[in-house]
Amino acid sequence: MLCLEKVSLRRQDKYILKDIDMCFEPGKRYVVLGTNGAGKSSLAYTIMGLTDYRPTEGHIVLDGTDITDFSVFQRASLGITLLWQEPARFQGLTVRQYLSLGGKISVEEKELKEVLSVVGLSPNLYLNRMVDELLSGGERKRIELASVLLLKPKYAIVDEPDSGIDIMSLNMIQDVIQLIQDRGGTPIVITHREEIALSAEEGFLLCNGSIWKKGKASELIEYYKERCDRCEHANAPVTEEGENE
Amino acid sequence: MRISTKQSRELELLSKAYEKSGRNIATLLDKNIASLIITGNKVLGLNNVTGVEVLPRQISHGVEADINIQPNIVLNRPIHICTGFLEKRGMQKIVFNIRIGDNSSVKFVAHCTFPWVEEFTHEALSNVWIGKNAKMSYMDEHHHSESGSINLKTTTKAFVSKGGYYFNSFVLTKTRVGVLNFNAEVELDDDAVAEMVTKIKASHNDRVMVREKIDLIGSHSRGIAKSVIVALDEAQARVVNEAYGRGDYSKGHIKCEEITKGKHVQVSTVPVLKVFNDLSELTHEASIGRVNAKQLETLMSKGLTEEEATNLIVKGLVS
Repeated sequence: MLCLEKVSLRRQDKYILKDIDMCFEPGKRYVVLGTNGAGKSSLAYTIMGLTDYRPTEGHIVLDGTDITDFSVFQRASLGITLLWQEPARFQGLTVRQYLSLGGKISVEEKELKEVLSVVGLSPNLYLNRMVDELLSGGERKRIELASVLLLKPKYAIVDEPDSGIDIMSLNMIQDVIQLIQDRGGTPIVITHREEIALSAEEGFLLCNGSIWKKGKASELIEYYKERCDRCEHANAPVTEEGENE
Repeated sequence: MRISTKQSRELELLSKAYEKSGRNIATLLDKNIASLIITGNKVLGLNNVTGVEVLPRQISHGVEADINIQPNIVLNRPIHICTGFLEKRGMQKIVFNIRIGDNSSVKFVAHCTFPWVEEFTHEALSNVWIGKNAKMSYMDEHHHSESGSINLKTTTKAFVSKGGYYFNSFVLTKTRVGVLNFNAEVELDDDAVAEMVTKIKASHNDRVMVREKIDLIGSHSRGIAKSVIVALDEAQARVVNEAYGRGDYSKGHIKCEEITKGKHVQVSTVPVLKVFNDLSELTHEASIGRVNAKQLETLMSKGLTEEEATNLIVKGLVS
């Protein structure tokens, strides 16, 4: 199980994340909801251990091991990975090289072709293309989805998988998330899209860097639609008593 | 292509050197391909095809060649040029006077291979003239010895006539550099286009100086100069990219990426943009320093160590 225990991320006097307590059970599918600026991507980067996103307080624990001080590579080696909202471009690297991590992971040609087909890219057209600026945002995102599929992670933090991808491809994204789960992984999906969120079992609603609500995904979505979508004090949450947090 | 018995021994050596750099010399011997093979100050092989006239002559320490492409010639296969130096010590001067006739289209693939040199100076000068609406690409790849003691000075001066296109790439990424002084400048007439790409990986105590200059003389002329330098260990690199906007609606862009890895590397980049016409537009972009953090962490989040991720990014950059 992957747990965040009282995790905070502070920059000078401002909390980006505050007192985050959350656990992800293996095999389940989770959704993280929140308005823009709520801290969703910061949460993803903190779990992955990126530079500048190391918790200032609290711990991240994986199967009983405190991984708070583990590097990105160490966390990836333990089965945690991140699907980036805006993936980096790589000059001079082909899709084939990128997916096989320069040959570090041995992937059969058949499997390479299969994952590209799953994400809606023709292997013949894409395997030898560069993962550079000439790819559209949508194409790049699809390659990132294929990459995560190949890695077969235990925990896949999927940051807005639908951004940059046409609305007609929602089914493909759902299929990829399902495949991650079918292969024994735990997808942790950050999304604004109801269709994707609904397929999760449980979730968390972030507001202003804190967990505002947790529970069944369907209930969180209803709450979000009712209260957060048009919230006038987004990320300056008001308690039931009407006071700012 | 005729090669004498004495020369065939040199060809054998050159063939080994060529193979060392991952190439097959048989390509150069195909009679359907225009080619020029030089070792030291000797012309080892020469083949002309219709519309291509290569006229080499021996000069002190080297070879000078006039390479003329007649007008309206479109070559489907590139002209191959192989320049080698098979001794351990010495000097080599190469001068190419390349003239591309109007409306012609030609590609050059050039390989310079100096696999065993210990003390060696190589000086290359290319004078390029590209006719109206003509296209020329010149791809130059170098393979040096690992001694790091090569002194390489290469200068290219190109002029592109109205509507012409010029592409020049210089790649030295698979072996040590030694000391490199690279100069390339191009003048562009109306509607002419130029792209210049330089990729160099310097390591140990290599020294690199790159200067690229685009002079946008003609109206609607366009040019881009791009340098990618990877500096490792104690290598030093200095890049000066220059663009001059003179023609109406001319556009120029210069880009320099310098990636560093090593506590004692020294790199610098100096962009020089000068506009002499308020209808001209020049831009530049530069990055200098360690490998991009987002790229690095993207690969690390997939299971590569920092070292592996850096190597893969660098491999892509210089490929």
